[in-house]
Amino acid sequence: MNAPTGSGKTYSLMIPILLEFLQQTSVDDPEAKNNGLQVIWITPIRALAKEIKNAGTRAAKALGLNWEFGIRSGDTKASARTKQKKKPPEVLITTPESLHLLLASAEYSKFFKNLKTVVIDEWHELIGTKRGVQIELALSRLRGKCPSLKTWGISATIGNMEEAVEVLLGPDYKKGNWEIIRSKLKKKIVIETVLPDEIERFPWSGHLGITLLPKVLPLIYQSKTTLIFTNTRAQCEIWYQRLLEADGDLAGQIAMHHGSISRELRNWVEESLHTEQLKAVVCTSSLDLGVDFRPVETIVQIGSPKGVARFMQRAGRSGHQPGATSRIHFVPTNSLELIEASALRTAIKNQDLEARYPYIRSFDVLAQYLVTLATSEGFEPVSTLAEIRTTYAFNSVTDEEWNWLINFITTGGPSMDAYEDMRRVGFHTGLYRIMNKHMATRQRLSMGTIVGNSSMKVKYLRGGKIGQVEEWFISQVKPGETFWFAGRSLELLHIRGMDVIVKKSKKKRGKIPSWQGGRLPLSSQLSEELRKKVALLSRGKYPDAELKKLKPLTDLQAHRSLVPNENELLIEYFKSREGFHLLVYPFEGRAVHQGISTLMAWRISQLQPISFTIAMNDYGFELLSDTEIPIDTALKNDVFSTVNLTQDIQSSVNSVEMAMRQFREIAAISGLVFKGYPTKQKRIKHLQSSAELFFKAFAEYEPDNLLLLQAYEEVMSFQLEEVRLRTALRRIERQEIKLMRPPKATPFSFPIIVDRLRERLSSEKLQDRIDKMRLQLVR
Amino acid sequence: MLEIELQSEQLILDPEKAIYWPRRKVLLLADLHLGKAEHFRREGLPVPMAIRTRNLERIAGLLKKYNPERVLFLGDLFHSLHNHSWTVFCDFLKPRKNISFELVIGNHDVLTDADYQQAGLILHEEPYLQFPFILSHHPQEEMLEGYYNLYGHIHPCVYLAGSGKQYMRLPCFHFGAYHGVLPAFGEFTGMAKMETLDGDRVYIAVEDIVKEVSF
Repeated sequence: MNAPTGSGKTYSLMIPILLEFLQQTSVDDPEAKNNGLQVIWITPIRALAKEIKNAGTRAAKALGLNWEFGIRSGDTKASARTKQKKKPPEVLITTPESLHLLLASAEYSKFFKNLKTVVIDEWHELIGTKRGVQIELALSRLRGKCPSLKTWGISATIGNMEEAVEVLLGPDYKKGNWEIIRSKLKKKIVIETVLPDEIERFPWSGHLGITLLPKVLPLIYQSKTTLIFTNTRAQCEIWYQRLLEADGDLAGQIAMHHGSISRELRNWVEESLHTEQLKAVVCTSSLDLGVDFRPVETIVQIGSPKGVARFMQRAGRSGHQPGATSRIHFVPTNSLELIEASALRTAIKNQDLEARYPYIRSFDVLAQYLVTLATSEGFEPVSTLAEIRTTYAFNSVTDEEWNWLINFITTGGPSMDAYEDMRRVGFHTGLYRIMNKHMATRQRLSMGTIVGNSSMKVKYLRGGKIGQVEEWFISQVKPGETFWFAGRSLELLHIRGMDVIVKKSKKKRGKIPSWQGGRLPLSSQLSEELRKKVALLSRGKYPDAELKKLKPLTDLQAHRSLVPNENELLIEYFKSREGFHLLVYPFEGRAVHQGISTLMAWRISQLQPISFTIAMNDYGFELLSDTEIPIDTALKNDVFSTVNLTQDIQSSVNSVEMAMRQFREIAAISGLVFKGYPTKQKRIKHLQSSAELFFKAFAEYEPDNLLLLQAYEEVMSFQLEEVRLRTALRRIERQEIKLMRPPKATPFSFPIIVDRLRERLSSEKLQDRIDKMRLQLVR
Repeated sequence: MLEIELQSEQLILDPEKAIYWPRRKVLLLADLHLGKAEHFRREGLPVPMAIRTRNLERIAGLLKKYNPERVLFLGDLFHSLHNHSWTVFCDFLKPRKNISFELVIGNHDVLTDADYQQAGLILHEEPYLQFPFILSHHPQEEMLEGYYNLYGHIHPCVYLAGSGKQYMRLPCFHFGAYHGVLPAFGEFTGMAKMETLDGDRVYIAVEDIVKEVSF
């Protein structure tokens, strides 16, 4: 079912499900109780579960059914869980993790005996994540136990709806007995861009957007409630503080909400929004999903949201009722973002939404799943392999890969001698099972644990939790110094382990933390629309207010260099005090630019010894060197060619570091590292390790370890967006190269040059690289 | 390898993360954590067993290179409770009777006296004085006039910063005014960042070299 938020989708499925039950059971006793588990309703967010339960309970009562609706999530108490197992509710509302935990519990087959329907809510959020893969596997087992199981997905619109259906339905997809039901309601979205008065005075670079804050204040005053979306947590903190500085009367009426603020504080904000006690909330994507609170009157988006679907979803938070117009105010943070505003409007009009590509061959999730099954009823290898091959994610698993996995969870790879046999999953009476009770317990406890970065918990002396900041930030704050966090001015008292103890401070100014989250790159839909807009500008066409505003800037760009059309690739080469600048503008998003820039730098360094520092944004990238860059030779040598692409990328990019980062999640999911349970037992305390340790061990001793290979795969597909990179290079191959030599930096180049996020690339050996680094002093 | 002078003694810092003391013919190693791979495997975590072989090969290499009379382990020789890797280690020591293998007890050293006897190890409680060094596993708080404390336990590393947000973590020898800590010798051991103060001498061990880092 394809339906946007706020369209009554919960009832639209709940009622037919109840009606079907009424139809199918004997009419004698529709009021029958304890009919066993009939429906599982999966939702990715615990907060939504309560809303679904309320809606379901209301509907069942109205139809005269004595159905019980139960919630099972991380918040469910143990006593409630036991009760649910003994006397299952007819509808169980649960999360993907809790569903897996059910598969890890004894006698789950009995529990699912009467299951008729599974509903997967917010499927667009789950597909394209590893939780989606978890769902596919859980469904494969449920379908194995209940062959006539009916599957329902509820999804907002994404660019690949049919693929989303295929992933969800597994083998039923090919049978063709499925349908996409679309809501006929069209949601009208109006975008209003907050324009700067004079483009000449508007910053060319940066992404904070504070310049236009005075124009945001009236929007807050005029509305009952406003949500202000920012792209990063640091930006959220800064905007909150600056709003308060601009108008002290807002204190107590505005709040902030982002992922590093404690659950308690976030709940308070969500509740207050729900009861309309707050005038405005500054937030990040943390409020994209969440409590389905009453519609907000005004939505403000600071800076480009980098994706069409995300923008539409946020707009949809206003005018929540079916048929109402959604209105969103876009606040650009630098001049070039005005082009993105124009691109967004067109993309929304054309309904050109991003696809959510499913993960495939996530062996970490599969390993976790197999151990989960081994924890409870055990699994029979032949039928289980056939079962998992019915999923979209694992239909290509080879026998060798399956055997590797079995090995991984039982004997742990090649052993040296018979003495140190690994004991995790054992084989007994035809089933793979965990025989050891404490191993089973550890498995259940470690499921769903995600290892975070080195975050430190910020707390008040009396224990009140404020949130998390990263270790490197706190290392810059001395005891007695003040910093701002979660909208509070805090004085650092002391640090105890991973806890940062603070107290409220009266000081107005202080350091503001930032997080190593990285900004989202421009989606491929938006970048394609962006290139079309740039092409319009190259032809001197200014069809909307945003592009018109940019005219002085684009005139300057044309005068100093060029505004490219869609058949041209603009390259700029000039010298400054800093060195020799080579700028390339594919307009394909930061992630792809990372790949192309390092590829180009590496290929050039193969022509002559040279080192670069590299900088990039969503529009282009820069190679900076202290010596002349042989660009003409590079172009003659097909520097943008797709031939040998994979090998060249592997050689050029620091794939080891990137893979190590990717491996953190893989290690946590597959159970290699876990946030152990509190125990005094030495044996268990001595199991502390890290993803990095395992990564290095596998890289050194087991290079064909599937989890290691998966890390490299994920770097290529997700971090470097390999498919998109290849497409971009093929497009470049068809374009005419326009090599310009401007006298100095151009408007297009400026934001890239001043961006302080530079990376160094050279074909230097490790030891030479180290020679150039300095020891970071930590006091 | 790199020769340095510490407390008027010549010491050789080896990139295999060891210190050789030529005057006394003593090889110092810290935090081997032998048996860790096997310990993990017994608890269901698939750490490659090749780690054990590598550890022993590296020790053999150092013995061949320096020909020490004594080898002092500065604590955490074995990772946890007894497992088969201890027997393998004892077999490794057997043909090397000409060398005295000694252990300064660390927090992970929880084997029984019988186990240590099986290996023929001489045990020392910390602090173990060998003028001008106080040898221990944990950093010692009480100092002695004229002595310098060499210890392990920390598994020290430092962060090197490059341009942009680049950084690297590398194991190091970290010498302060009165205390110096050795990097962890063992494969599959973690690292912890050392606080660096003015006047400290820091030497990173990377690939086959030891290099001083200036700051």
